[in-house]
Amino acid sequence: MSDKAVPSSAKASAAHHNASRVTRHALPYFPGCALKDQARGFEDSARAAMAALGYELAELPRWNCCGTVYSLATDDLMRHLGPVRNLVRVQDLGETRLVTLCAMCYNTLARSSRFVGADPERLERINAFMDDEADYRGGVEVVHLLELLRDEVTFEAIEAKVERPLDGLKVAPYYGCMLLRPREVGIDDPDSPGVLEALLSALGAEPVDFPQKAECCGAYQTVSSPEIARARVGEIVSAARWAGAELIATSCPLCTYNLEHHQVEREERETRHASPVTRHEIPILYFTQLLALALGVSEDKLGFAGLKFDPRPLLSDRELV
Amino acid sequence: MDRIKEANRAVTTGIDDSAVKHWVTVYIMGKGYRVPADITIMQAMEYAGYRFVRGAGCRAGFCGACATVYRTAGDWRLKTALACQTRVEDGMFLVQIPFTPAEKPAYDIEEEPADGTPLLKYFPEVARCVACNTCTKACPQDLEVMDYIQAALRGDLAAVAELSFDCIQCGLCAMRCPAEITHYHVAQLARRLYGRTLPVPKHVLDRVEEIESGKYEDEFEKLLSMSREELEELYRKEQREKGGLNSRDASRVTRNGQGER
Amino acid sequence: MAEELKLVRGYPEYMRKSIERVEASRPRRLEEGPPPGMSLEEREELLKKYHPDYAPGGKRPLVAGPNKGEVAPNEVADLLEAYPLLEPGELELKVDFDVDILILGGGLAGTMAAIWAHEQGVPPDRILLATKLRHGDSNSIMAQGGTQAADKPYDSPTIHFLDAMGGGHFTNKPDVLKALVEDAPFIVKWLTELGCLFDRDENGEFVEEWGGGTSRPRMHAARDYTGMEELRVIRDEFRSRGFGLLEFYPAVELLTDPKGRVAGAVLWNMETDEYKVVRAKAVVLATGGFGRLHIRGFPTTNHYGATADGLVLAYRAGALLRDLDTVQYHPTGAAYPQQIVGLLITEKVRGLGAQVVNRDGEAFVFPLEPRDVEAAAIIRECYDRENCLVTPTGLRGVWLDSPMIEEIHGEGTIERRLPAMFRMYQRFGIDMRRDPILVFPTLHYQNGGVETDPWGRTNVEGLFVAGEVTGGVHGKNRLMGNSTLDCLVFGRRAGIAAAEYVKGKKAPQTVTLDHLKGFVEELRAAGVPEERRSPMLLPDYRGKRVLARMIDLL
Repeated sequence: MSDKAVPSSAKASAAHHNASRVTRHALPYFPGCALKDQARGFEDSARAAMAALGYELAELPRWNCCGTVYSLATDDLMRHLGPVRNLVRVQDLGETRLVTLCAMCYNTLARSSRFVGADPERLERINAFMDDEADYRGGVEVVHLLELLRDEVTFEAIEAKVERPLDGLKVAPYYGCMLLRPREVGIDDPDSPGVLEALLSALGAEPVDFPQKAECCGAYQTVSSPEIARARVGEIVSAARWAGAELIATSCPLCTYNLEHHQVEREERETRHASPVTRHEIPILYFTQLLALALGVSEDKLGFAGLKFDPRPLLSDRELV
Repeated sequence: MDRIKEANRAVTTGIDDSAVKHWVTVYIMGKGYRVPADITIMQAMEYAGYRFVRGAGCRAGFCGACATVYRTAGDWRLKTALACQTRVEDGMFLVQIPFTPAEKPAYDIEEEPADGTPLLKYFPEVARCVACNTCTKACPQDLEVMDYIQAALRGDLAAVAELSFDCIQCGLCAMRCPAEITHYHVAQLARRLYGRTLPVPKHVLDRVEEIESGKYEDEFEKLLSMSREELEELYRKEQREKGGLNSRDASRVTRNGQGER
Repeated sequence: MAEELKLVRGYPEYMRKSIERVEASRPRRLEEGPPPGMSLEEREELLKKYHPDYAPGGKRPLVAGPNKGEVAPNEVADLLEAYPLLEPGELELKVDFDVDILILGGGLAGTMAAIWAHEQGVPPDRILLATKLRHGDSNSIMAQGGTQAADKPYDSPTIHFLDAMGGGHFTNKPDVLKALVEDAPFIVKWLTELGCLFDRDENGEFVEEWGGGTSRPRMHAARDYTGMEELRVIRDEFRSRGFGLLEFYPAVELLTDPKGRVAGAVLWNMETDEYKVVRAKAVVLATGGFGRLHIRGFPTTNHYGATADGLVLAYRAGALLRDLDTVQYHPTGAAYPQQIVGLLITEKVRGLGAQVVNRDGEAFVFPLEPRDVEAAAIIRECYDRENCLVTPTGLRGVWLDSPMIEEIHGEGTIERRLPAMFRMYQRFGIDMRRDPILVFPTLHYQNGGVETDPWGRTNVEGLFVAGEVTGGVHGKNRLMGNSTLDCLVFGRRAGIAAAEYVKGKKAPQTVTLDHLKGFVEELRAAGVPEERRSPMLLPDYRGKRVLARMIDLL
């Protein structure tokens, strides 16, 4: 064990662990558990891409798991402690905005923030329980990176910085549920979203529209009832393939897991869009990996090693790597 | 010697009333007892007539046997402490928790991957953590328990090891946790897994091999055949010449911790 | 009592003057270093005059048993020359548990013995570990400073051997000591592979510190929780292997077969008063030390159960003891505040550079003499030169200048390397980074005990021993870091030797308490009063007033 500092034995105050000094282009950033473990490529590529755009993703000190959808059980106020504690961390930094990458974390934090903000009594009770923290005063905005890219950075600016245009690569944008529903936290029109398409176009890729782009992948059903996830993924992937996609872009580690894992098992089953090409493996990438690639980030920071289906043969064919 | 014995009487035998100047009242499982003011909870319970079978171990804050839960007069807050390390307060209302029901799963550490996956495999309840921080508040060692559980949740072994190191496994966190996690078992596994990611330093491996190959046999044969006088002479020489212990510049010894080489 | 005195950062006001003098002299002392170490002759002289072992009146010759005529401290003799708790004739000895190896004691040594007997091929369900308190309650868990192992290029097992010999006044058993120092690097390797987290530097190598009487830095530590880290790792390993475990079941007597071989033990459930008879082909005794006997009225660093039970049981079965005439007083036990009097202030504090300083602010002794020498020097300073502090309760002590550690190694060193101690003092309002701490010698270690060979065997067949309860490896004075090593090395060896011993052996035909008969007769012949009973099992700290009014009605 390396000889480094142990936390002081006095009860910790809210933000003493490696609190990054948040500078003008540093964004308080919430990684979430998956991005530190099985989805490291998502974070690595996002960091590198944002650096190329002049931003620092400053990891929130002492963040904790958002709790995902279980935190949104409205009859159990205690479950909102996890999300709210993260908002207190942002507040401690003197910031008002929290950037997320994982669609599930985005959805959970944003909805929890609204939930406790909607009723002062809820907020009071949570604050009273968390007597070891500063009171959460409300007002922290939870933002998904795509919103930031669209509204603040702008796709024009991104396009101007592209070094490796994606050469018409056919990419199917897959939104899943968490970015779009419910409406109060959706970052785009749930019936006809377009933000991923706009980004992909700016990068020089050819976005491929397909009807299943905003349909659920099966989410946690993959654990208890995998046949549901299998059925959903079969529809999504074959629809994308049918529309001519060479890659699928996502923003959620759970979607990625399902799309990768159930794609292979999908082999011989019937689908509404039966196609001989459903047996071929289609790589699933995080949108930040494509963003980073286009911005000229070196291959070792793109996180391709963690993916189940290696996009590199395809990309090197197009001389992108 | 007798003066030393006299001076230590209160510690080595039971407390004598005549020496006590100030008193307080503490409530042990609801029963009030008048005890000397300036002693620990453990000493107070013994003063009151309890002879510990459960609830006393090292008496120095290392073993977690004397986990105590208490309230102070007029305060609704629940507090925790180690009985051997905490002074009594007037109006203290206390009970001991000498045992936490928590079976440890059996594992073969050599068969487990040295990453975070065994943690959720053996302790899936870790995912039930709601970040309420009750465990941190319960910890008598002031550890950031919730933080290490969160680190365990995302497989960060190094962080679990760092944050949980001073854990004495008293069990108070586990007793208070609404998600019914047994934090100290999780941390124990995490620390061992983390240790296994660190290679045995080469100098140790080399030395073990040297010894096994008999490198020191001749020297030892000589040593074991020496008389006491010969050993004394060798010892003097060794200490004086090489280790610097008898040297005037002993600050060399302690300043950089490495001595001369 | 503290309410009367005004406390300034944890210390009574009247001590502050002395603390100021310590602060004033610190820059000079950092520059000059402490007084030089003593020669062997100077050490001997100091010990004779000031070490409690040499002060008259504390010891007497034993009147019964294998070591009859040899000298032991009074408190120990009171237990060795005492009648059994059980009435041998009245106890039904029907066997409750039948095992190959019974291990008595749940510290480092006992746990090692179990694991290594298993490694040698004894199935886990044939091994039973019985302990008086919980598995882990022991002196081992409180060991702070480190474990010695000569694994760096500038060091060697032979140098380690010499250091220990010198510290032990050249009375150590050479072949046993050789085993200790030769096995040490292997033990460190094995523990590391199990996941034990010894401190490392940025290069991943072990950080190794100096200890009293060592000529090379070779102390492996895990912050100042070394014993706890080692024990909890091997205990975790133990718990994964399925051994039999009985907690709160002290042994109150060993059992022997008609040939006098040890054949098991009578265990007593401290919570239900029920006794159990365990038949075993071999017994490993790892019951630890005797600090709770408060020899010569000293406070102690030891855990609640350190009452020499194992020593008594082995003695009655005919085991030879050695070096009982020496007792180790750790030079630095806490002397203030009252609540922590006697608790261990690890030698590591001195190893990191803190000097031992008197009331006037002068360093008066080389800080890393072997423990007996260091303790004697402090006693001289307090009771002869009287250049000491007196606490509100009448204890005397000198300063250990802990702030020097921050100066030498950088701010944050104490929190990083001595978190347990830092935390302990913080609980009582003292910041040891800023202020020195008050110390006085405290009863710490049983240097001697049951005599053993390099494999834990004793002169009694079937009886193996390991750890603090043994005698011979440390001679008349143990060095820091050799005790945890002792437990680890000989716990392993005893486990291996016991496993080899039981191979192919049949279980003992009959178990008896017959070995007590001769011993009891000897006691009666020597006129030992009948009320004297042992083992003690637990010390008694109940208030005198309560004891005076106690009646046992149930």
